Amino acid sequence: MLNVGNITVKRAKSVALNDVSFSIQAGKTLAVVGESGAGKSTLIASILGLLTPSQGAITWSGAPVRACRPALVMQEPRAAFNPVHSLRRSVQEPLRARKTNILTERLKRLCDGLELAPELLNRKPAEVSIGQAQRVGILRALVAAPPLILFDEPLSALDAITQKHTAKLIADLQAEEGFTALIVTHDLGYACAFSDEIAVLRAGSIEEVGTPDAFVSNPKTNYGRKLRDAAFSLGALERRR
Amino acid sequence: MTFAILGLVLRAAVVVTGAALLTFVLLWNAPGDPAMAIAQARYNFVVPTEVLEQVRAESGLDAGFWAAFKDWIGPLLVGDFGRSSVTGREVWPDLVTAIGYTVPLALMGLAIGLAIALPLAALAARNPGSVLDRVCVALASVGVAIPQYWLGLLLILLFAVHLGWLPAMGARSTANLVLPALTLGLGVAASLTRIIRSGILEARNQSFLPAIRRRGVSPSSIERDHVAPHAAIPVVTVLGLELAFLLEGVVVVEVIFGRPGLGGFLVTAIGARDFPKVQAVVLLTALLFVIINLLIDIFYQVLDPRIGEHDA
Amino acid sequence: MRSVFALSLVLVALAVFGPMLAPHDPTAINIPNRLSSPSEQWPLGTDALGRDILSRLLYGARWSLGLAFLISVIGLSIGTLVGLAAAQGGKLADWALMRTTDTFLAFPELVAAVVIAGLLGAGTGSLIFALGITSWMRYARVARGVGLSLKNRGFVIQAKLAGLSPLAIARSHYVPALVPSLIVVWTGMFARAILGISALGFLGFGVQPPMPEWGTMLLDARIHMRSTPLQMIWPGLSVAACVLAINLCGDALRDSLVDRQS
Repeated sequence: MLNVGNITVKRAKSVALNDVSFSIQAGKTLAVVGESGAGKSTLIASILGLLTPSQGAITWSGAPVRACRPALVMQEPRAAFNPVHSLRRSVQEPLRARKTNILTERLKRLCDGLELAPELLNRKPAEVSIGQAQRVGILRALVAAPPLILFDEPLSALDAITQKHTAKLIADLQAEEGFTALIVTHDLGYACAFSDEIAVLRAGSIEEVGTPDAFVSNPKTNYGRKLRDAAFSLGALERRR
Repeated sequence: MTFAILGLVLRAAVVVTGAALLTFVLLWNAPGDPAMAIAQARYNFVVPTEVLEQVRAESGLDAGFWAAFKDWIGPLLVGDFGRSSVTGREVWPDLVTAIGYTVPLALMGLAIGLAIALPLAALAARNPGSVLDRVCVALASVGVAIPQYWLGLLLILLFAVHLGWLPAMGARSTANLVLPALTLGLGVAASLTRIIRSGILEARNQSFLPAIRRRGVSPSSIERDHVAPHAAIPVVTVLGLELAFLLEGVVVVEVIFGRPGLGGFLVTAIGARDFPKVQAVVLLTALLFVIINLLIDIFYQVLDPRIGEHDA
Repeated sequence: MRSVFALSLVLVALAVFGPMLAPHDPTAINIPNRLSSPSEQWPLGTDALGRDILSRLLYGARWSLGLAFLISVIGLSIGTLVGLAAAQGGKLADWALMRTTDTFLAFPELVAAVVIAGLLGAGTGSLIFALGITSWMRYARVARGVGLSLKNRGFVIQAKLAGLSPLAIARSHYVPALVPSLIVVWTGMFARAILGISALGFLGFGVQPPMPEWGTMLLDARIHMRSTPLQMIWPGLSVAACVLAINLCGDALRDSLVDRQS
């Protein structure tokens, strides 16, 4: 279980995160929605241990998150790979660090699940499509079987059809592998369709947390209502009657 | 803006302090007795042993590095460069005389360099990739590779020894200035030509130029109002580098042509282990250098606040 | 790229095999035969002490190229370490290291080298120290720039998350990114080092006689400018040719390495 307890991150002139708390049960998915500048990236960096909050603690099953070696799927698929290395070398990096043998069977099974031809991994990042690069990014996140995976706007660089497809693949793999997922996104439609719980982040604070159904039918805050109505009118979210 | 400029000035001050410290470290570690060096700088040529001991005690040389540094920097802060340890004369007047020989040489060299580099670069940039362009670039490449002292000797060989047109050594008349200034100028021209050329080419590539052209602005006024100012930016950037080049050039050129300028002053002082003179030249050079670079930084800050610092 | 390879091969061959081609001992003094014109026995003539100029030039190649290589590698090592430390070490370390770099940059390189070599006493050791300590700053600035830009790149963060050791991250992500930029700086500094060595030699602060170094040879030849002007041509021509060849290599490398990256 991921537990984020009262964390505050202070910047030189502002507060990036203000007393943020939530938790995710093992194997479940939480979507954090909010506009740009709300503190989503800071939240991810804090959970991953890339920056230390000025207050509060983040734990995974009672231990520091770093110990479970969480994985991250990034917004810009190609930027996540060293341009001079083959994709295979990048994918195997988490295994190399753990001094584990290369798990040929597992790699092949995951490639199948992500609809990637294994030969594709011999290419450089610039030689595959954005959609393929993102699936390889998911492959790298999964390869060492971490219990927790963070998704930072995993779909926003992709076109609409690829978005839908990739979202489905992530959900299927989660059902199979059982990892816990935290998805940061500004796409309310995606958040509602693929998560167990939604947290609304605004200006560094959590406005509300609830199930997608509860959020769509009756947001608890004005801001949540605004977000929902905007998604309705843009067609990102279907009205449920 | 004011804040940014203040920051730049503060940074320059830190650098000057560091430069003074570095100079002192060098002096401290140079073979020989630092107490002797300081005593000679302050008093005279012949230093009695008891005076030496007194200096050692009062300048805190036995007290350690920092105390000695404080004692060394004190007179310097009020512009007292001390006395030569060889002649016993005050350093400052001699230094001023030397600078009087060096400044015209450096300015003349810079002027010759610009007079050659500007037309050459404009000619080359007129039609990039053409034979003319390649010849200009090749000339510049060869020019950069030629050592200054060798160029100076070749010029002496041709104009003084063979043709007998110009004097080679000394600094008696204006004619004596021609060959050394030409040596420096050719070097400056070689290093500037390519920079100005690519500056002009880049300036012609600015994304808004086609739009202006479509509005019917004449090519000549585009060159004058939009290309030339943009092409001047890299020239200002390398001004700091050119200054270094000139100062380095001056050292060898003045030695070759036997001019009693700053370069000759420095080399003679090093040869005689005349510490006060050496430190005066070194500190002055560093100060000049830092000030010029500070001015360039401020120029940029005024020109375009987005450029925080230049890399020169 | 092929011409770069050919040129650098010629330079390396010159430094390694040059002395073997020398027809005479470069330090063998032969006073009766001093300042002789080029002949079959002395292809480029002899100097004021009757030493064979061609042999001295060929041995000089090893001094100039070898020392310049050593000096530029010293500068490269110091500069890269300083630059990376500044990029990785946090704000205070960055500030301190970059102001130190600025301080060293406050002295024109050759002027500083002349002063240091002169005060330490002429000799090869002080020459190497003087030129090495004044030539690391550009590498430091470049390495810092690359380091800062890599620090927040996606793949470096991924490597960190994967649990790779700092050493492994440096090896697999920093080195490939640093090499192209640094090698271009390095060729420029290599050429500058050759010029610096001969300039110090010419001023009398460099490699000491009787060792045949190009700058020192020029200093000797200068006195006999009127009687044997050709003597003065060769050492300067050698320096210019080497510097030109290295600069051409540098230009070609920049075109193929750096432009391709961006």
